Amino acid sequence: MKRPDIRDVDEISKNADRQLVRVTNRDLITMPYPYEDFVTPDSTDTEPGQACPACSLDGVSVLSLPEPKNAEEEQALVQQFLSGLKKLLSRDQNWTFLQPLKLSLDYCAKCLACSEACPVYVASGGQEIYRPVYRSEVLRRIISKYLGKGGKAFARFTEGDIDLNWATIARLAELSYRCTICRRCAQACVRGVDNGLIAHELRKLFSQEMGIAPAELHQLGTVRQLEMGTSTGMNPRAFKGIVSFMEDDIEEKTGRKISIPVDKEDADILLIHNSGEFLSWLENPEAFAIIFEAAGVDWTLSSELIEATNYGVWYDDIQLARIAMRHSEVARKLGVKRIVVGECGHAHKALMVVADRLFTEETYVPTESSIPLLEELVSSGRLNLDPARNDFPVTLHDPCNLVRLSGIVEPQRRILRAICPQFREMEPHGVDNYCCGGGSGFAIMNSQGFPEWKAAVAGRMKFRQILETFQDVISPDIHKYVCAPCSNCKGQLRDLFTYYEAGKRCGIFYGGLAELIANAMVDVEPFITWEEN
Amino acid sequence: MSVVQWITIGAYVFVVAAYAVKVVRALRMPPHLRWELYPIPHEENHRYGGSYFETPGWWRRPRRISRVRDLARMLKNYLFFGSYLRWDRSYWAGLYTWHIGFYFILLFHVLSFVSALVAVNTGVAGGAEPAGLGADVFRHIMTVMGATGFAAGAAGSILLLARRTLDPKMRAYTRPSNYFTYVFFLVVFVSGLVSWYPFDPSLTSYREFWYSLVQGQYVEVEPALNVHLLLFALFLVYLPFTRSTHYITKLIAFFSVRWDDTPNSPGSRMRRRIEQALSQPVGWEAEHVQPGTRWRDVAQNLPDAREGADRSSK
Repeated sequence: MKRPDIRDVDEISKNADRQLVRVTNRDLITMPYPYEDFVTPDSTDTEPGQACPACSLDGVSVLSLPEPKNAEEEQALVQQFLSGLKKLLSRDQNWTFLQPLKLSLDYCAKCLACSEACPVYVASGGQEIYRPVYRSEVLRRIISKYLGKGGKAFARFTEGDIDLNWATIARLAELSYRCTICRRCAQACVRGVDNGLIAHELRKLFSQEMGIAPAELHQLGTVRQLEMGTSTGMNPRAFKGIVSFMEDDIEEKTGRKISIPVDKEDADILLIHNSGEFLSWLENPEAFAIIFEAAGVDWTLSSELIEATNYGVWYDDIQLARIAMRHSEVARKLGVKRIVVGECGHAHKALMVVADRLFTEETYVPTESSIPLLEELVSSGRLNLDPARNDFPVTLHDPCNLVRLSGIVEPQRRILRAICPQFREMEPHGVDNYCCGGGSGFAIMNSQGFPEWKAAVAGRMKFRQILETFQDVISPDIHKYVCAPCSNCKGQLRDLFTYYEAGKRCGIFYGGLAELIANAMVDVEPFITWEEN
Repeated sequence: MSVVQWITIGAYVFVVAAYAVKVVRALRMPPHLRWELYPIPHEENHRYGGSYFETPGWWRRPRRISRVRDLARMLKNYLFFGSYLRWDRSYWAGLYTWHIGFYFILLFHVLSFVSALVAVNTGVAGGAEPAGLGADVFRHIMTVMGATGFAAGAAGSILLLARRTLDPKMRAYTRPSNYFTYVFFLVVFVSGLVSWYPFDPSLTSYREFWYSLVQGQYVEVEPALNVHLLLFALFLVYLPFTRSTHYITKLIAFFSVRWDDTPNSPGSRMRRRIEQALSQPVGWEAEHVQPGTRWRDVAQNLPDAREGADRSSK
C-alpha cells in the first residue's frame, strides 16, 4: 500500500473517510545492535468506508470519539470548539496560560528548527503530523479563519484556510495526544515559542469546554482521584493494608523491622508517592522507608493523600487546581512542616512548579523534591553505604519533568557517582535529555493501538539511547540498570523493555533511585532483585 | 517640508505607536501559572540547568540570581541565533544575513538621526557637515552600516525566499503573506542599494535628508533616494503587521515565561495578583467544571466527581 503523506497542512480537514498517515517500519529510525533488524508492525490501516474512530489520524486512537450522526450534530461540535477556542484566547477564562499561549501563537516564524529536537518526529522518520509546529499551525489557521478580524480572504493570505469540520476537530483532538509535552522543541526556539504548550492548551480546550479527554486521564484519573483519594481506587483502609505488607516485605527482604508512619501529625515531612509505586513498584516506597528510618527522618505517609499524582497538569487546569488544593488541605490537616514529592516527575512539575501560583496565604504549604533530600542523606554519612554493592553498569534516565521543567539535575547524579562505580551518562542528558515516550500521560494510556505506538515511535529514541549507552556491555549475561526516578517513566520503560524484550536480549532492567541507595546500605541485605520487567 | 519628509515622520510615529500598543498588550496580560524551562541563566547552577529546587529547604534560603547573566544570554540570542546554528545551518545563514540587514539599517537610521541632531546642535550652517577626523570616521561608519544593511537585507531576503520556495517542507508552512514580505523587503533593500551606489556613494544626501527632517526644513533629494525613502516608510508601516514585534515580545517570552521561576512567596506581589485571578468567574462549559462559580470555589469546593465523567473516551 502506498503510504499516504501530507503535502499541505490543510489536509487535516479533508478525506474524512481516510486515514491521514500511515507509519511504517521502513520510516522509523534505525536501531543499534542487537536490534538492527527488529521489525515493528506498521500502524493500522483504516480502509475507506470502514468505521474510522477519530477520523483516523495515524491508525491509533486515544479518544475513540463517536462520529456525529448528522450535519446538525457536526455543526454543534464545531460551535462548541469555537466557543472553547474563544475562551482559550480570553484573559478572563484562560488567565492561567494566556500570556505564554499568545506569545507562542503570534510569533512563530515557522522556521521548523524545533522539528529535529522532537524525539517523536525524528523517531517516526519525519512524519509531518508529528512535527511540533504542525498542530500549532492547524490551530493558527483555524483562529485566523474563524476568529480573525480580516475575513476569510485575508486569512487565506496570512495564515491559511482550514475548514473546521468533524475531521479537523477529531484529528486535532487526537493530535494533541501525540506530543509528550517534553518541551524539547521549546528549548530549540530562539523566539521562546512553545509548541508543547500549544498541545497542552488544545487538550484543555477539549477537556474544559467539550468534556473530551482520554479516560485514563480524566474519568479513571483525576475524577476518581478527587472522588476516592487515588486514581487507582485504593481507599485508606486498603492503603494501610499495603503499608503493613510493605513492613513485612522489608523485614523479609532485609531482616529489618521497620514501622512505617501513616497519618502522623506534626511530622516534619509528608512524603507523597505516585500511586503506581503502591501497585507496581513497592520496592521504591520500601526503599524510602528504609532510608528515612536509618537516617532518623521525622516523616509520615498519609492514608488520605496516598498519591502525589496530578494528571490535571497534562490536560485540564481546573482538575489540576482541585488536586493541588487537595494536597495542600491534607498536609495542613496533618500539620506537617513540608510536603516532599517522591520519585514522580509530573508530580514535581504539578505541585512545585505549575500549581505554585494557585496557592494563597491560607493554602500554601512548602513543597520540595525528595531527590535533593536523598542526596543530603547520602552525603551526611548517616547511611552506611558501600558502592561495591552497586557494582554493575548503571545509567540515568532524566525525567523531563524533573530536569528540563523543574531544574533538578545534579543531586541524582551526585548520588549515583557516589554509590554506583559503573555509572555512565546517556547522550544527550540533563536538560537536553530525550523523553521516555511516556510523558504527559502516555505511560498510563493504553487504548486502541497506543501501546504499540508508544513503544515503536514515542519511546524509540529513548530505547535507542539506552542501547547505545550500554553497547560495550550489551550481553544479556551482564545485568544493567536504568535508573529512572519517576513513576511514569518507569511505566514507559517497563512497556518498552517488554516490547523489545530488553531484559532477555540485553540484560537491561530499570528501577528507581532510592532502590540503589537501599541496595548500597551495608546493614541491609541486597535490595535489588533482577527480575524480568 | 516635502511630502516624503512628512511621510517618513508619520511612518516612524506609526511604527513606534503600533509596537508600543502590542508590547503593552502583551505585558498587561493576567499572571499565568509557572511554565519555566531550564536552563535559566539567572540561576546559580545555570551551567547545567539547575534550579533552586536542588537545595533542600529552598524556601528558607535567600535566592541569589543574576540578571546580568539573563541580559547577556538574551544579547547572545539577539546577536547569534545560536539555536538555529545548531539545528539548521543553511536556514541560519539566510536568516542571519537578513537580520544583519535589519540591525545595520536600524543602526544606520539611528546614526543618521544622531548625526543630524549633532549637526543642528553644533550650529553647522546650511547643512554643511562637521569637519575633522572624528566626523570623517563617523561618516565612514555610517556609510558602511547603510551599505552593508542594504546588501545583507537584500541577500537575506533572496536566501530566505529561495529556501521557503524550494524546500517543500518549508513551503507547506509558508503563506502568500510570507512571500509578499520577502519580496517587499527585497524591493526595499534593493531600492536602498540603488539609491546609494550609483547616485550617492557617500550617503551624503541621506544625511542631508535627516538633517532637514530634524530642522523641519524642505529638502530636495535624488529621485532614487525619494523612491527608497517612500518604500522605507511603507516598510515601517508594514512592520507591525508582520511577526517582527518578536524583537521585543521575545523579551517577554523569555523573562516572563521561560525564565520566570519566581516562587509564589507569602506576601509577594505575585501572590496578590493570584488572589485577584482566583476571584474571576469560570465560564468553561464541560460538566465537571461547574461554570459560573469563581476559580477559587471551583478549585476548593469539589463537585460530585461522577459529574465529571463527561465525554472522556471510555
